[in-house]
Amino acid sequence: MKYWWWKVLSVVLLLGVVIVGLRTPLSPALIACTPDRVAPGPVTVTLAGYNTHFTDAVIALWIENSGQRVCATSFKALSNDRIEMQFTVPPGLRNEFCDLWVRTRTHGDLRYRDAFYTVERGQGLDPATASTCEPADVAAASTPFTLPNRNILNESIRNLFFHVPMWFAMVALMSIGVWKSIRVLQLGKARYDREALAAVQVGLLFGLFGLVTGSLWARVTWGTWWTTDAKLNGAAVAVLMYLAYLVLRGSVPEPAKRARLAAIYSIFAFVFMLLFFFVLPRLNAVDSLHPGNGGNPAFNTYDLDSRLRMIFYPACIGWIGLSVWMYDLRKRMAHLENTRQHANDR
Amino acid sequence: MRTIVRTLTFLTAALAGAATFAQDPQQGWLVNTLYQSGKINAVVAGVAVILAGLAVWLFIMDNRMRKLEQEQPRK
Repeated sequence: MKYWWWKVLSVVLLLGVVIVGLRTPLSPALIACTPDRVAPGPVTVTLAGYNTHFTDAVIALWIENSGQRVCATSFKALSNDRIEMQFTVPPGLRNEFCDLWVRTRTHGDLRYRDAFYTVERGQGLDPATASTCEPADVAAASTPFTLPNRNILNESIRNLFFHVPMWFAMVALMSIGVWKSIRVLQLGKARYDREALAAVQVGLLFGLFGLVTGSLWARVTWGTWWTTDAKLNGAAVAVLMYLAYLVLRGSVPEPAKRARLAAIYSIFAFVFMLLFFFVLPRLNAVDSLHPGNGGNPAFNTYDLDSRLRMIFYPACIGWIGLSVWMYDLRKRMAHLENTRQHANDR
Repeated sequence: MRTIVRTLTFLTAALAGAATFAQDPQQGWLVNTLYQSGKINAVVAGVAVILAGLAVWLFIMDNRMRKLEQEQPRK
């Protein structure tokens, strides 16, 4: 128990992350509506939702434009995720875009931002002639545990529990690697060289996982497998630098020389990896599509979102634990191979 | 080990080559399946890749371990 408690902890955490992270539903959201423009006069609108319960929960629907509301004259749920409604749009809506709101009994107010483009704009509705729209208030229902449903990201927001911890694990292992490399330079012992190599090998595996999962995610969010983005290329260069570490080791036949050279290279590679992962994305001059930058919704709101954090932190601990466990096995195997080698050489 | 690495490199290269032709979201089973049911399949594919990668790693380690066991140290 003394030695393997953290391995059990990692596995239990990962088990929970996979189950909760994939099973927890996304919160309801409005995802599409037709038509995409409104002109004064009657209009029939069809709205599509995701994880919504239109059939029994809708109380009111309204269009909002610069704080003024136009209520739906009638609505009919076609299914849980499709609803049809009629509006009589009065002339004079002021803003270029209107929002569409749905008030529901089960999950409060849902907003579809900029649902319609306003045709024939005016100076605002005339309060004297426009009919008032005051949707009935609804008691706040206790919201079940859901993950945020962000535009474009949708279900792929769950990649936060798998793609991001890959990089955390890689950084953890490369930190072990650089620590062992420093020991090589300090003490010149071959065992530290083997340990540094093991850490880099397993760390690279996680770096490759990070690249592949990121690429799959990029295809569904940005529509391309790879873009020339500062963060993406930085990550790729960091991985390639560590691949070059292996190539460098392969090219030096003499063990003591190889250990020293590899240790020095490893320290440089580590510093560059930190620059690429932590400094480069924070430079203001660098514009990036990747979540975490200004203007992109994903990581900024994640910073505030306790629901995602509750799964993300255990995921990081779990994946780092697993990667360190793999490093531990790899390291012990390398030591064993070495003692066998020596026994055979004698 | 060498053969495995070579096979993996070849597969990666082949997949990367195939991927460049799958630009249109209307084309290709892979892309279409990725987009299904609110993009959950992109996450599932990612998890599958990670698990498959871990399995490959385990097999490689298993082979090395077997070699180690078969090599009887000469006393």
